Amino acid sequence: MSKESMWSFKLSTAAIVLIPAAIGINYLGKLFAGLLKLPLWLDSIGTVLSSMLAGPVIGAASGIINNIIYGITVDPISTVYAITSGAIGLIVGVMAYKGWIANVKKAIVIGFVVGFAAATISTPLNIIFWGGQTGNVWGDAFYAFLVSKDMPVWIASFADSIVVDVPDKVVTVIISFLLFKGLPKTLTNIYRSDNEIKEL
Amino acid sequence: MKSMTLYVDKKSLMHDIDPLTKLLYVIVSIAVTYILPIHTFVFAVTAISVLLLIIGKVFRKILPIIAIGIILIVSIIIVQGAFHPDNKTVLFSLGGFAFYQEGLSYALLITLRVINMLSSFGVLILTTKPDELMERLMKKGMSPKIGYVLLSVLQIIPQMQATMGKITDAQRSRGMETEGNLFVRMRAFFPLIGPVVLNSLNDTRERAIALEMRGFNTKQNKTFLHAKKDYRHQGIIQLFLYVVFVGAIVWRICL
Repeated sequence: MSKESMWSFKLSTAAIVLIPAAIGINYLGKLFAGLLKLPLWLDSIGTVLSSMLAGPVIGAASGIINNIIYGITVDPISTVYAITSGAIGLIVGVMAYKGWIANVKKAIVIGFVVGFAAATISTPLNIIFWGGQTGNVWGDAFYAFLVSKDMPVWIASFADSIVVDVPDKVVTVIISFLLFKGLPKTLTNIYRSDNEIKEL
Repeated sequence: MKSMTLYVDKKSLMHDIDPLTKLLYVIVSIAVTYILPIHTFVFAVTAISVLLLIIGKVFRKILPIIAIGIILIVSIIIVQGAFHPDNKTVLFSLGGFAFYQEGLSYALLITLRVINMLSSFGVLILTTKPDELMERLMKKGMSPKIGYVLLSVLQIIPQMQATMGKITDAQRSRGMETEGNLFVRMRAFFPLIGPVVLNSLNDTRERAIALEMRGFNTKQNKTFLHAKKDYRHQGIIQLFLYVVFVGAIVWRICL
């Protein structure tokens, strides 16, 4: 496999059709998490799964399109975080390609990297758009605590994002990893643009 | 087919405006409220967005959209009002927390911006059919593949919701517990999401074959199902929006 192939924009039809499916899975993840009253969002399982299946380009596209679609249908606020979602797809895609989905322990590392990256990208967005908060009760209580202890706004805002994003993303990546490992091979290799056909 | 959209089918002036003009309005009205941190100006822009919603006869439909943002708004008012770093002048105290003038003034500014963001999006999404918007974007040069992806999401989600209902019922009838402590509920997540994921990925394979049979990848120019709608005076409105945008930047620099 050549190195450029990970970034190939020559996408197969199957890979393009994967994007709406990924967005649907994101939506259901959020719905099930709500149904089971889990204290997490779990709304990026589809994005993470599509990055594992089809690489960073499709992963990033799923993430960005996901938030744009939510923006124009359910929740305009989510459009703001399109860049964050795109980055999540991109990072998981690259790390998966580099072999970080070999086992659960490595997948957890992806979860932490993605969680920190998501928090880092969300922080400036949160500060610009809402003065540093996330709208999550626990995160915002932590934010208020840090600001009252005379911490600068950007540190408080970053901490606010971290306590919200890291646990959510670690669990999301673990779930996606387990789902990915459970998929049959006939399904997993139709999305990759870099697969060479092997002779029998 | 059922589709996921907030579009309200009515006849009004707003419904007849070019979707691209409305899209430009969303971008410009959000941008100017963030460029200029002046209360009265942000309030005026918000008022215009709300006025456009009333002209579009969809004002009542914006309330559930604003309700989604209400947690964020409440959190902004409490946290900024009580803990903003510039707080000096105490206005009143409530349950042991003092609320300050500086923080509340800042919270008011952000709240107005958020409401304007939601309302201006509302102008676009409540008065525009998603297909119409996509068609206009594709005619402007957006890739038809992206158009396909965006539109198909709106149809796939209701389908997947139906599948989800079936799977939840099936797993419950097999004795899966969906209530109890966190661990029990966490464990129930896999038998619920697993089948949907497998199902929808299987569908993508069939959909991909169906699309390729219909020439999804041809390089030829695509034709459109709907006849071109006649929009009037759009150039002038768009020019006006650009002027407002540039004006806001100039005003900010002079401030």
